[in-house]
Amino acid sequence: MKRRQINLRHILMPFVVFVFALFVLMLAVYVYNSMPIFHREGLDIYLKNMWKAAEEPSKEHYGVLVAIWGSIYTSVIAILITLPLSLAYSVFVIDYAPKRVKEWLIILSDVMAGLPTIIYGIWGVFVLVPLLKKIVMQPLHNYLSFLPMCSYPPITGFSYLSAGVLLGIMVAPFASAIIREAYQMIPFTYREAIYSLGATRLEATKILLGYIKPAIYSGIILAFGRAIGETTAVSLVIGNTFNLSLALFAPGYTISSLIANQFGNAFIYEYMTSALFAAGLVLFAIGLVVNLAGIYLLRRWEANVRL
Amino acid sequence: MIELALETRDLKVYYGNNMVIKGVNLKVPKNVVFALMGPSGCGKSTMLRAFNRLLELNSEARVEGEVRILGRNIYAPNVDPIEVRREVGMVFQYPNPFPHLTIYDNVAIGLKLNGLVRSKEELDKRVEWALKKAALWDEVKDRLDDYPSNLSGGQRQRLVIARALAMKPKILLMDEPTANIDPVGTKKIEELLFELKKKYTIILVTHSPAQAARVSDYVAFLYLGELIELGPTRKVFENPEHELTEQYVTGVLG
Repeated sequence: MKRRQINLRHILMPFVVFVFALFVLMLAVYVYNSMPIFHREGLDIYLKNMWKAAEEPSKEHYGVLVAIWGSIYTSVIAILITLPLSLAYSVFVIDYAPKRVKEWLIILSDVMAGLPTIIYGIWGVFVLVPLLKKIVMQPLHNYLSFLPMCSYPPITGFSYLSAGVLLGIMVAPFASAIIREAYQMIPFTYREAIYSLGATRLEATKILLGYIKPAIYSGIILAFGRAIGETTAVSLVIGNTFNLSLALFAPGYTISSLIANQFGNAFIYEYMTSALFAAGLVLFAIGLVVNLAGIYLLRRWEANVRL
Repeated sequence: MIELALETRDLKVYYGNNMVIKGVNLKVPKNVVFALMGPSGCGKSTMLRAFNRLLELNSEARVEGEVRILGRNIYAPNVDPIEVRREVGMVFQYPNPFPHLTIYDNVAIGLKLNGLVRSKEELDKRVEWALKKAALWDEVKDRLDDYPSNLSGGQRQRLVIARALAMKPKILLMDEPTANIDPVGTKKIEELLFELKKKYTIILVTHSPAQAARVSDYVAFLYLGELIELGPTRKVFENPEHELTEQYVTGVLG
């Protein structure tokens, strides 16, 4: 009996087209809705720090530079926190943890990856921010206030630093999942090779981490993407202030926290919604740039190194 | 009396409760190629890894008895395995230069880690020396900063040999070094062994009796974790004492 031939491609195709179309349309919506503010402010929407809402449209002026800065600044802090955390976690889980503990540690990190972000946010407000304020910000401000980064007096503790640290903790499980997986997959023969050369555990680990550099890049890129898009938890600890500053202890804004905070009443004003769409467009752009940079890095690596 | 490079006394290796090397006594003289031959699964690779304490990477493995390198028992309690590995070089079945390090760095890495050279000039010299010893220098001298991905299997294996030689080991362990190499590469590596044994003692694991016959001075036949026969290669092949050995060298037992 001859079975009816179904072309699987024809079944799969519509789903793919649907996803692709969704992305294109979404981007189009953002561009379309940003047009009014582009016509009004031009590039200033991205180059100025200004947030003048007024009932009379002619007095409205918006520039979201502070939010762009805040998003990048907090995400970079997050990466600086997440990298040592996730590297240490991965190496410990694979090389040192006894078998049973290992499984639990992996489950723990997966659970942490899946926790609702509001959980981190509330914990941030009540525990992390006061703690950071007391043991990090105040001492640093007292002794190093001549540095621009430490110059801002930590009055509330809600700040770029708080947001960055919280993000770093939140995204670590994602980076760690990728790094851990790659670290575990290193062929045993390379472990044997490095130890046969008289390496200590620390030296061997360093060399082996070099071997999985592409995975570390990928982990960082994924973590950066998660950090820059994170909204809820950040809104709770960033301080939500139009304050363009290098000062770590100063409150600020990120793109996503700006949109989340302002969207509710944006409809009252003529241009504010459009300004928020324009801000959202930046997240698209950053996502694209970061991923392209990642692909470029991996390509360059692969051109030389064939594993 | 001949000076011994390596000697085992009642060497036993366990994986968990499973004894895989069952009390082996063997003596390896200096400056020879010593072949450990036997069918796959007989424990020869395991035994080789007992000679540089590399078995310790496997938490299941346990070693009993003694392995003496130039007279010193490397399983004595005060011996640091890192020191042992510094003095005993190893080449593996699968050519495994580090793909993310340049050809130069692959040779230099052991020297750097162990602080065996004082200056950059000395390092350059030693890298060149090791690559020449491994008969690879002429093929790579113009691309030391390239990665090993463009080298052939045989070249990679010689790079690994250079990596081990750079540390001037007392003994070189080779675990089926030509198993994954084409015939031309194999021939080059076998020729290299004749050159190297002038200065080094080489313990070569092979599953091929033909290879053992070609390159070794002494041969040990290992079967199911036991040492069946040991002696000068010629004698073992021409006049084996044990029936199993005869079957193995004539190809009846694979």
